Amino acid sequence: MQAVLEIDKLTTRVSGYTILDEVDLRIHANELRVLLGPNGAGKTTLIDMITGRYKPTSGKIRFRGHDITGLPPDRIFRQGISRKFQVPNLYETLSVFDNVMVSLKGERRVFSNLLRRTSPEDSDRIWQVLEWIHLVDKANEAADTLSHGERQWLEMGMLLASGPQLLLFDEPTTGMTEEGKFQTAEMIEKMAQDHAVLLVEHDMHVVRQIARTVTVMHQGQILAEGPLSEIVANETVQQVYLGKGGNGAS
Amino acid sequence: MARVHRHTVYRQPLLPLWAVVLGVGIVIGIATYPFYGQEYVTSLLGKFLCYAIFALSIDLIWGFTGILSLGQAVYFGIGAYFVALSLKINYATLHPTRYGGTIPDFMEWNGLTELPGFMEPLLSVPFAVVCALLIPTLMAFIFGVITFKRHIYGVYCAVITLAEALILQDFIIEYQAYTGGFNGITDYSNYANVYFLWVILAVTVFFYIAGRMLTHSRVGTVLRSVRDNDVRAEFMGYNVANYRIFVFCLSAFMAAAGGALYAAWVGLVSFLDTGPVFSIEGVIWTAVGGRGTIIGPFVGTFLVKGAEFFLSGVLADFWQLIMGGLFIFVVLVMRDGIIGSIGKWIRRHRAGSIEQIIADSDAIAADRQRDFRPAGASRQSEEV
Repeated sequence: MQAVLEIDKLTTRVSGYTILDEVDLRIHANELRVLLGPNGAGKTTLIDMITGRYKPTSGKIRFRGHDITGLPPDRIFRQGISRKFQVPNLYETLSVFDNVMVSLKGERRVFSNLLRRTSPEDSDRIWQVLEWIHLVDKANEAADTLSHGERQWLEMGMLLASGPQLLLFDEPTTGMTEEGKFQTAEMIEKMAQDHAVLLVEHDMHVVRQIARTVTVMHQGQILAEGPLSEIVANETVQQVYLGKGGNGAS
Repeated sequence: MARVHRHTVYRQPLLPLWAVVLGVGIVIGIATYPFYGQEYVTSLLGKFLCYAIFALSIDLIWGFTGILSLGQAVYFGIGAYFVALSLKINYATLHPTRYGGTIPDFMEWNGLTELPGFMEPLLSVPFAVVCALLIPTLMAFIFGVITFKRHIYGVYCAVITLAEALILQDFIIEYQAYTGGFNGITDYSNYANVYFLWVILAVTVFFYIAGRMLTHSRVGTVLRSVRDNDVRAEFMGYNVANYRIFVFCLSAFMAAAGGALYAAWVGLVSFLDTGPVFSIEGVIWTAVGGRGTIIGPFVGTFLVKGAEFFLSGVLADFWQLIMGGLFIFVVLVMRDGIIGSIGKWIRRHRAGSIEQIIADSDAIAADRQRDFRPAGASRQSEEV
């Protein structure tokens, strides 16, 4: 299968500290990849590099054949990469509907949006997404009235509406109830049928629920990569991350 | 692929009926006032309308986009100065002084004997008006590119705009031979008649409707999302700097138009119309009236300036103190201003009582509990 995201020897050094050390990663179309690692391993930094928040010191990131290393975030989005933040980042005073509407795949430039109307197809798509994230009954509520779990889902809905090829989730189940985590994991699994997904997670229940290939990071390097069963059995991984009882973090 | 669904989005109409009725009433009221009212109040009305345009320009960048500029008067002032200079130069050529000079008096006082070459184009009033509108917009564009493209916003942006206003103020005082300095530009033929009041009124209505159309459009929604979470907007593909530059230039154009009309109406412009105090006054009117709304700036301007007119005779010494206190009060207690608070109150009453809201919320939570499936119940195959 074609690799959709290719990361080659990505390195980031800041003030003498090496945050990412020659990271190599390949993600394929419609693949669900889980990224594990203790806090400080560099997982969020890796996502920051991919999405253009910061420039790496060296190395290359290629997306669908194009070199996107060091491009600004809005351009990388338009290439087809959407990112979910660790803390839900929403447009607080806008309604749930408008949060999704403004995230819809489509024209982003100022002058092209001056006379833009929401077409019936757009509207259908928005309601489709709202049904998917169970927020139809809250469509007209402002985003800041939602519960924490609903806020996480709303952001996921916004990502879905933006129609990317690669989705990056940074600990999307943080702060959710058990029920919420289960449903979120199901949502992500369904999304992976049509998108490439890179999921950073800490909750081992969620990981066991949906993980296939797992990549483990530690201190800025890729420690291990393979099916979940191998990773769990890997002794180095056990020492570094899972702890010698194999219990799992959080 | 159209789906039939029962869901509807709550959308305000572009021009609600109550707003149209109110607007028409106000326009007619102001337009006919000169025929039966006091001349002093008429002159205030024209001034306040110019101020209302100024306040709207601040609301567009602050209330809707989240850019606090403490130097918006720079654009108002430059617009005003272009028009005032042009009218003054024209007045001087037609009304020679007792020494026979046909250049503005402040130039004579500073030792100039003829009109500086670079000011000759200002003999044409239409040209001056074009400059009054375009040069501030161009300045805003340059400022926007330098500041927003580098992701400088928030407090730093506010301080830079404040510095801008101070610099312009000092510049005007310093180069008094060309600007009239401390005394400003006065004694020129100004258009203080009922027809020009109608012109000011028409321009005010135009800008307010245009502002409403902009904020009601998709661009308006994007601007509000930039205000609420510019990081999310950027990572969702929007070039946030471009949107900020766009609205900033639009706002400067509007402020400049207000200034140009002001100079023509009032007949006196000075450095006070370009500095930080006037800029902050505009922010106060917008805050009091309701930022993030369209009629808020209008209400705030007329309310605060009107109160100043009626009360400053009685409370002259304390007026600045009251203004400052008013600003603090609005920012701490009534963040949405008058119009915003009214809107909130209406929305809350439309939604029903608190008990009803809690009962609805409980019902939804109960439904969710009932539909919950226990963990692992649906997994058919385990790959791991």
